[in-house]
Amino acid sequence: MSEKKRTQVDDIDRSMYDFHYDESDQEHLEAGLTPEIVREISEKKDEPEWMLEHRLKSLEIYNKFPEPDWGPSIEGLDMDNIVTYVKPPTEQQASWDDVPDDIKNTFDRLGIPEAEKSYLAGVGAQYDSELVYHSMQDSAAQMGIVYSGIEEALHDEKYEGLIHDHFMKLITPSDHKFAALHGAVWSGGSFVYVPKGTKLDYPLQSYFRLNAKGAGQFEHTLIIVEDDASLHFIEGCSAPKYNVANLHAGAVELFVGKNAHLRYSTIENWSKNMYNLNTKRATVQEGGDIEWISGSFGSHVGYLYPMSILNGRKARASFNGITFAGAGQNLDTGCKVVLNAPETSASVETKSISKDGGVSTFRSSIVATPKAEDSAASVSCQSLMLDDRSRSDTIPAMDIRCKNIDVGHEATIGRIGNDKVFYLMSRGMSEEEARTMIVNGFADPVSKELPLEYAVEMNNLIKLEMEGAIG
Amino acid sequence: MEARTLNNVSAMPAPTWHWLHMNDATVEVPEGLDAASDFAIDVAEGTAGAFDAAMAAAQEAWDAEHEGYEYQRNYTDEQAEKLGGTSLSAYQQGVDEVEASKDLARMFDMGMGGDATAYLREVAGTARVIEAKRGEHASASVRIAGLDGHANVAALDIVAAADSELDVCITVDSPTPGTGLTGSTIRVFAGDNAKVTITRVQTLDDSWIDLDDMGLFLGNQADVQINQTVLGAGKTYTGLAGDLRGTAANANVVTRYLGHGDQKIDFNYTLRHHGRKTTCDLYANGVLAGTSTKTLRGTIDLIRGAKGAEGKETDNVLLVDEGVHNKTVPTILCNEDDVMGNHGATIGHIRKEQMFYMASRGLSQKQAEAMFVSASLEDAYIEAPNDATREAVVRLGNKLVDGFGELVEDNEEELA
Repeated sequence: MSEKKRTQVDDIDRSMYDFHYDESDQEHLEAGLTPEIVREISEKKDEPEWMLEHRLKSLEIYNKFPEPDWGPSIEGLDMDNIVTYVKPPTEQQASWDDVPDDIKNTFDRLGIPEAEKSYLAGVGAQYDSELVYHSMQDSAAQMGIVYSGIEEALHDEKYEGLIHDHFMKLITPSDHKFAALHGAVWSGGSFVYVPKGTKLDYPLQSYFRLNAKGAGQFEHTLIIVEDDASLHFIEGCSAPKYNVANLHAGAVELFVGKNAHLRYSTIENWSKNMYNLNTKRATVQEGGDIEWISGSFGSHVGYLYPMSILNGRKARASFNGITFAGAGQNLDTGCKVVLNAPETSASVETKSISKDGGVSTFRSSIVATPKAEDSAASVSCQSLMLDDRSRSDTIPAMDIRCKNIDVGHEATIGRIGNDKVFYLMSRGMSEEEARTMIVNGFADPVSKELPLEYAVEMNNLIKLEMEGAIG
Repeated sequence: MEARTLNNVSAMPAPTWHWLHMNDATVEVPEGLDAASDFAIDVAEGTAGAFDAAMAAAQEAWDAEHEGYEYQRNYTDEQAEKLGGTSLSAYQQGVDEVEASKDLARMFDMGMGGDATAYLREVAGTARVIEAKRGEHASASVRIAGLDGHANVAALDIVAAADSELDVCITVDSPTPGTGLTGSTIRVFAGDNAKVTITRVQTLDDSWIDLDDMGLFLGNQADVQINQTVLGAGKTYTGLAGDLRGTAANANVVTRYLGHGDQKIDFNYTLRHHGRKTTCDLYANGVLAGTSTKTLRGTIDLIRGAKGAEGKETDNVLLVDEGVHNKTVPTILCNEDDVMGNHGATIGHIRKEQMFYMASRGLSQKQAEAMFVSASLEDAYIEAPNDATREAVVRLGNKLVDGFGELVEDNEEELA
């Protein structure tokens, strides 16, 4: 009998992201986190007084919060060494031709202008702390859709009130330590407003690139989808690898109106020196739905749990996520759902792969309040261990406070079962084909939900090379 | 005794978000309770120190079998330095540290742990030993009653030597109201090929608090079955931890509960698979009525090296009243690839198809709900280990379901 070999799954190939340009022409604030630095950021942005007050209050809250004691260690992150604001040498442009060469080359290599031409209705590109490019097709603008930098909107009297009423109302600075940090030093990000009854057929995309060594990126994305409207928003992010810690603590706030639809897709590719402490949250009104599609591939440490709050009757949420934790990574990902109205429903399906000593944790919560009568939720998570040096934990919590509800949960952890291989072989496949099909199929529920081009990118990220049997 | 607050009781090994208030429990021990360890046991005292001696022998055998073994951490010191830290969570680092010690006694946990185990030991004093010697088949019954104005706790060491069989039945009951606490703190050693069955049925009046604390150690091919039934007490805290150390050891834990009134029920189970081809099944099935609250923390921990291990946990909860509150967190921690871990939970009301069937037989929703409560009690009655427990179930049942006593009598007559 021939010796069985483990399936070889290559680590994520990050070479396409791992390049950087000289940052000497960029403006860096001092490293660390002080009220003076916060004031300086606000002053540079010429913000209204309420925003400065918000920042300073957030800083106070940040300083009072303890570090999380339940997730991956963040001992390698020293805020005294993090530069919270790095300004690229350009203002926001509406044409790629006006963007400085280094920055334009960066986004060219990431395929953003090409994607914009092919299948996007609009693109925002952020380089370190500021947006460098923002543009939307005229047809979308004519529909009344607003897609701009959030700071640009804040300075527009038509939208300042809207921003004031929504900004950090879903994710408040008192939520957790890094929401407070975000409130203090946030910079850049996108604002999307889709008017009532408007349905955009093509996605909008924001891409966040962190180029500066030892810096933090704190963009804020605010999306309002009015009643009966529909939007697909794609978020991409990457950074080159450095030998010091970088930090990403962005925030995403999504407001989904009655019978409105929002799909929020993310492929996260931060480098392996990144601490990704990001917060995402959506509130959904009657008959509306939020779909999260999430691929987490990068970062040294990740804390990421998009939250859906279903506040209206028959509101729905779905979450499809995949996490790939390789060498040196500890990715703590999952989602939170609050069923807070009658006849709401949620579906969660996640996959995780751990290899080369990587640590993956699926963490979730389903909370049903007494208002959630006749609601339903299902959670399914599958974890694949590719070697005996890695780790995969599953910590799902359910808190149910009403009677007429149906909550189901199932999870499996392990390696590929021989019974599945045997079944496929009995259908005429070779052993190698069977194993290839099983491993490739593992990521399918997520990749099939992405636009084709992104699915291809994701499949390239999980480059699978099969060799012999798993065992 | 003064009022005591026991913190960090029945803590999950790997905690989650604090805002969920699920990570552990806090037990308030009422003021003025006198300590007592007054319980009935129907077997002679076993060998003093049998548990510690058995653990020492197990350590010796393990050391001999694992000569030269070094636990493989997730990160080497060199990697950790390069990465600016290990990035492992406190729990993950803790596992590495404890496992690297190769100290079986250090790895032996009690289910409630911390303040609670210390309190129960303090109240109970020296543990009584129930023992089955090599090749023996022994059984024992233990009765713990609520004593008004007392914390009445039994400390037991249950030691089943290799190739033995040991059945222990523990009933915890007090038909009358009182101010007090009952409890047990039990260490269980199941030697190689030993078979141990422990059944604990609690039917206290709602005025009592009950603490049930247990720790298991399983040798090669040891088989431990734990049956727990929780029907009474205003507040019940159950904690069980197990070390499936030996090859092909198996632990099954079956929990039945009925929450009613404003009862608070708290379960914590942690089973750690160390041995190869070890298996476990944590199965909980219960009904919540009234404004009762239940929390279940179930953790299956598949430790590196437990090749071929399989763990399964299930929690089925039927919610019959609007004021109920259920919290479940079925956790699987996995540091080994050649394993299988499964967990599932179903939480909800009577399913539509079940309700339809019952409606077609002329039952209203209220009647159907009462039928599920009754069925839960009947199940406890059927599974009760002795007549006294059956009587206690009927006594509780009559309080909750009209004519429950006659119902079980009729059923028995029919069966006869």
